[in-house]
Amino acid sequence: MWQGLIDDFTQCFVANGRWGYLLRGLGVTMEVALSAIAVGLLVGFLVAVIRSSHDRYGYFRILNFVAKVYLTVIRGTPMVVQLLITYYIILKSIDSKVLIAILAFGINSGAYQAEIIRAGIESIDPGQMEAGRALGLSYWRTMIRIILPQAIRNVLPALGNEFIVLLKDTSIVGYIALIDLAKGGDIIRSQTYSVYLPYLTVAAVYLVLVMTLTWLLGKLERYLRNTGADVVGNGS
Amino acid sequence: MSETLLSIKGLKKSFGKLEVLKGLTTDIRKGEVVVMIGPSGGGKSTFLRCMNLLEQPTEGSIVFDGIDIVSADEAVKNRVRSEMGMVFQHFNLFPHLTVLDNIRLAPRLVRGHSHYATARQALELLDRVGLADKAKAYPQQLSGGQKQRVAIVRSLAMEPKVMLFDEPTSALDPEMVGEVLDVMKDLAKNGMTMVAVTHEMRFARDVASRVLFLEGGRIAAEGTPAEIFDRKHDGRLGEFLGKVHVGMGFRDKVKSELLDILEDREVSEEELARLKELLGGASRQSDGFSNPTKRRTTQ
Repeated sequence: MWQGLIDDFTQCFVANGRWGYLLRGLGVTMEVALSAIAVGLLVGFLVAVIRSSHDRYGYFRILNFVAKVYLTVIRGTPMVVQLLITYYIILKSIDSKVLIAILAFGINSGAYQAEIIRAGIESIDPGQMEAGRALGLSYWRTMIRIILPQAIRNVLPALGNEFIVLLKDTSIVGYIALIDLAKGGDIIRSQTYSVYLPYLTVAAVYLVLVMTLTWLLGKLERYLRNTGADVVGNGS
Repeated sequence: MSETLLSIKGLKKSFGKLEVLKGLTTDIRKGEVVVMIGPSGGGKSTFLRCMNLLEQPTEGSIVFDGIDIVSADEAVKNRVRSEMGMVFQHFNLFPHLTVLDNIRLAPRLVRGHSHYATARQALELLDRVGLADKAKAYPQQLSGGQKQRVAIVRSLAMEPKVMLFDEPTSALDPEMVGEVLDVMKDLAKNGMTMVAVTHEMRFARDVASRVLFLEGGRIAAEGTPAEIFDRKHDGRLGEFLGKVHVGMGFRDKVKSELLDILEDREVSEEELARLKELLGGASRQSDGFSNPTKRRTTQ
């Protein structure tokens, strides 16, 4: 039995340097996931500020409408379909599949992050904005220095959840023939006709990635809670 | 009289169909301490919030430093706000920043003062209100009275030309009201121009140079503290002053009422004297502000 397992392992990961599929796949997964988180945060902040400014103060009427359409379309259609449309229609002139994946996942995740951040902004007492404005700070400065640091602290767990979902969702990039961790495992399966080791290994690697991310987020959360620190940083 | 700092004319403010301010006109002069009193819903807070444009007036003008700020553009409004301090009922300190950073955030961002200069100024101001040791604390570690003193200091750090106080002691536990009022009295003594909405009638009587009585969105009465508090008034002002027991603390009021009741009973002189002693020698003499109809001529 042990001999069989060792043979299987050799066949799957050692022979023909097949471990490279997993390693390169892991690189692609992390590149796409981390960049998409960044793109999503950027889009999310922008949309969240537009939406909450509109709801509370009546600013940005047109942008708010655009943001609502964006949220409806992105949240109303499956991620795979969005990925395919981005690849075959919207960005078909772009060669880099990694870039296409980053944009597709980033824009998708941005919609979910926007709603989470908006909830955070709206959880902050309006008195905070008033205090900032009364001191002579502009609306945007108050938003960035006063409101957002508190809002993020409040929604960090929900935001972390979205990051985890995004990381795992990238496993569908095989649809546009990008070889990520999941697709790498699948290729090994197709070459060796062995199913257990490739897929279980892939699952284990995702699990480790998610656990690491969770651990990092937990550290950040504790740091923010204990010090009351200012995440945006006012240089003090 | 000294020069006018804020000149308000025909100020109106509506929220939807509800007209809260129905045309207010008054001048705030340099060094003046104007206290606004009146029943809730009378428009005091809205009026105050219109002065620094936290609420955009619907009609009327506010001239500050020679310009009408109601119709000014956003950049001018931001500058005007930076020159007016405001203290809120619920403090509104920034919970994610230390006391020190709460105070120097605006001087650094708005005025562009240096890290070092703002820290020194903040510590000096904190020292003035007896909170120098709290510089590194976060707001949630402070008592209500301490929070409000920090909030006052935060406004003062911008070196405002006028300080607006929106019921600064209404959210405080009773034992902390004094420390905040002391800071305000100190400011007034040093010549700060102040506009305050408050229910602290003793503060209004002792510190105000002018009292405005706001009722139904209008200035229903106006005068020096003596004119407002020492005379008998008819109508809404009299009714309002009767309710707030001007000039008497709650304890004094209870003692006085209790002695009134006892005097109606068959109590011997010795017993009455002893009761008075037990009650801590409450004065039977009205200080001129309590409701005079309550007095009885027993002697």
